[in-house]
Amino acid sequence: MLVLLFKNFIRSKGTKIGLLFLLIIGFISLLIGRQFQEKQQNSITEAAVYQKEHIARNAAFHKDEIGLLLYYIKFSLVNNTLPINSLAIGQRDVNPSIQNVTIRGLEGQKYDSELNNPSNLLSGNIDFSFVLLYLFPLLIIAFSYNIISEEKESGTWKIVATQSPNTFLYILKLFYIRILSLTTLLTLILLAAVLFLQIPVDKSFLVFYGLSVLYILFWFAVCFFIVSLQKNSNFNAVILLTIWLFLIIILPAGINTYIINRYKVPEALELTLTQRNAYHEKWDMDKQETLDKFYNHYPQFKNYPLPDKEFSWLWYYAMQQMGDDESAVQSKELETKLQQRNRASELIAQFIPTLHTQIQLNEIAKSDLRNQLLFLKETTKFHEKLRLHFYPKIFDNAPVNEQKWEDFKVETFTDNSETSFMKAFLPLLLFNLLLIGFGWRNFNRKVII
Amino acid sequence: MKLLHTELLIARHFKNSVFKNQAIYIITFFIGALLLFAAFSGWDNYKSQNETSEKYQHESREDWLKNPDKNPHRMAHYGNFAFRKSTSLSVFEFGMEPFFGNAIFLEAHKQNTANFSEAGFSNSMLRFGEISIAMVLQVLLPLLIFFVGFNSVAYERENGTLKILLSQGISWKQLLFGKVLGIASVVMLLFIPTIIVLVLIWLTLQNFSISADETIKMLLFIGFHFIYLMFFCVAAVLISASSKTSKKALVSLIGIWLIFTIILPRTTQAIGAYLYEAPSKIQFNSDIEKDILKQGDSHNPNDVHYKAIKDSLLRAYKVDSVQKLPFNYSGFIMTEGEKISSNIYNKHLEELLKIYARQNSFSKAVSFFNPYIAMKNLSMGLSNTDYDSYIDFQKQAEKYRYGMAQKMNALQVKYISNKKPGPNDKPLTIGREHWADLEEFHYEPKGVWEVLKTEIVSVISILLWVILLFVLIRIAAKNLKAI
Repeated sequence: MLVLLFKNFIRSKGTKIGLLFLLIIGFISLLIGRQFQEKQQNSITEAAVYQKEHIARNAAFHKDEIGLLLYYIKFSLVNNTLPINSLAIGQRDVNPSIQNVTIRGLEGQKYDSELNNPSNLLSGNIDFSFVLLYLFPLLIIAFSYNIISEEKESGTWKIVATQSPNTFLYILKLFYIRILSLTTLLTLILLAAVLFLQIPVDKSFLVFYGLSVLYILFWFAVCFFIVSLQKNSNFNAVILLTIWLFLIIILPAGINTYIINRYKVPEALELTLTQRNAYHEKWDMDKQETLDKFYNHYPQFKNYPLPDKEFSWLWYYAMQQMGDDESAVQSKELETKLQQRNRASELIAQFIPTLHTQIQLNEIAKSDLRNQLLFLKETTKFHEKLRLHFYPKIFDNAPVNEQKWEDFKVETFTDNSETSFMKAFLPLLLFNLLLIGFGWRNFNRKVII
Repeated sequence: MKLLHTELLIARHFKNSVFKNQAIYIITFFIGALLLFAAFSGWDNYKSQNETSEKYQHESREDWLKNPDKNPHRMAHYGNFAFRKSTSLSVFEFGMEPFFGNAIFLEAHKQNTANFSEAGFSNSMLRFGEISIAMVLQVLLPLLIFFVGFNSVAYERENGTLKILLSQGISWKQLLFGKVLGIASVVMLLFIPTIIVLVLIWLTLQNFSISADETIKMLLFIGFHFIYLMFFCVAAVLISASSKTSKKALVSLIGIWLIFTIILPRTTQAIGAYLYEAPSKIQFNSDIEKDILKQGDSHNPNDVHYKAIKDSLLRAYKVDSVQKLPFNYSGFIMTEGEKISSNIYNKHLEELLKIYARQNSFSKAVSFFNPYIAMKNLSMGLSNTDYDSYIDFQKQAEKYRYGMAQKMNALQVKYISNKKPGPNDKPLTIGREHWADLEEFHYEPKGVWEVLKTEIVSVISILLWVILLFVLIRIAAKNLKAI
């Protein structure tokens, strides 16, 4: 019986075209992911080469003044890109995965954006997460909206009903076939991804896979519930597409608009203005005052007194430091706002399966806002480390050629936050159980004629 | 009116039958609520974005003027900001705005990126789209039209009433036009109130003092959306009339909608981005740096290019050291350096923009086959939230930056003495009154004619679609069968 049903399902022209279409676009998404991965890798390799050349060249030009040299040279910090990132590019295309900073004021450099074509950003990537989130449900709907209703409309249902001992079991079998074919398709694409993109099969990948399966099951559960209402095909199609529209476009877009308006960030602009003024005004102020503030921040440098010259690097970097110190309030506020945005969206997403899946996939791929915030934090630490390393050398005017410049390699930040099965699976599991439960009740209540 | 009597009768009848369905009230109410939400959040967004950018633009100008006497080169490093203000139509069409940066820091020697885009500060949700009036008009209303119209003719065929209608002397043409009018009248119940609210908001935002340019943009915005919606009404009726059953009509219409609004826009852009890979920022910057090194690096004391300039200056003025020149030598060198570096930067930027243009060319070309993309591009253009506006803003800001840097260099050449102060001397300065010489940055969005020129493809495409539909109705009227 199952084999026959499967043959019947797969023989239909629409089914074949649908599955083939999804398979092809799935592979295209892997290609796009691969291109993204290569671009990231290239940038990282380039960053390493560039940094080496850049430091060597500048160290040769400015061999007498280490203070002047450090005015120019940049150091790079890389946000580690996992291979799985090519399946869910997330925010990694908007935010740069490499930060280049000099030891001057940080706040003016921290938020430098990546070069981007805004048209690409607007339309979004066709990465695997897009295929999974947008297109799989469409095919699931196309495959399931007319279960029973079509047979009823064409008059064959009576024959099925009289010949099958348990019509409910028959419906389950119809679903079973469809679920099986789509999960096979999903597995095929992800297997190809593992080979093609060299994704390690570890816990992250398993959560990724599990989440994808649960997401597909969610849409089948939705279809199961709608089919259980036993309306006609047109009604089912319209209602399922409306649900799709809601979950994929209207609700996420509405929530996004809400969150952006709820947590506005004028701090971003205020921050840059404050930082600029706090540094520049020091040129025209009493030098000792600037230095006293600097000593307050770093008591360990108290033993470097203000040189009796019009210009000194000690004073210069103290001024730069004040740019950061005096805009610290705004910087903190901006960070808090962004944290709030992230928390709010994660909280709301738990109740919207599509949104939850997207955010979780990005979290696993380390391409979400949380990762970006951690990277910004790490940039601050990296910058501070460089400052503390070089400040004494500048204040002593240490000879440039005595520094081991080749030791300053590009550093990498690895986001070690764990992915949790519970957090990823629970909301989807609950939704699935709920929908299947209600659907089952509907079928039990009403005889399927 | 006598002429269209039959058509109007059919239309009225269709409209009544639509409103017999309870669901239509729920959907209408829902879309109405969504429109209100969109209008409100668009307004809120626009107001706060413009208030902040105006506030900080103003503040940064005051800060600039407040600077005491100093060396003009330090003012060049103090720098300026370019903040982007939105046009009033962007309340209804956000376009690419969330992906643009809102502020560019403009300083000497360095071209900065536009930072602080909404997208950079957002979770992945933004990629699902945003609720704006334009989104409701361009994406949701067409779907509503299809839901309302899919059984306009197909149902009559299924029921057998089609034969009766045609046998009573009604022509196919009258029937099709009547049904189109019927659907249109249902949609206009949403469209007309929306437009009224839209115009009211738009007038309030500008305190009822509107410029001719803005008015034309608004009228075109309304006009093209009207044509666009009518297009979907006709498409619904034509597909419905040519389908055997209403289910087939529904499935085809949904398919068309999906391809137009969801699949094609992403796919075409993805093809472009895949084929024409743009350089990363690090590559872009290091290419520029390499070119500058080749041309001459003003920071390198042994650079050949600058040594040649120095020698020729010494020869021309018949002096033996740069200190004896009658003008400020380092100011002169910086003028040259700024010229070289920004020329090189602009050259590379042009190349980058060419790559972007190639990436975009696919979706531009597809607008001929996809009225949604044509409409989207046109409405983004009219509200100055499109790609070209973004580039335009960047270019205006860069022009301002270059002007600022060179003005400060010129002040240095003219007013700063050539004698270097000793290590304990006060630095050389000029009076603060010079700062006001630099005008404030003001971004002027592109006017309507320029927008239409860049979006000519979209305009032609929409007009072609209208013509095509009329032709199709004529062909259908001749060839359709009742059974």
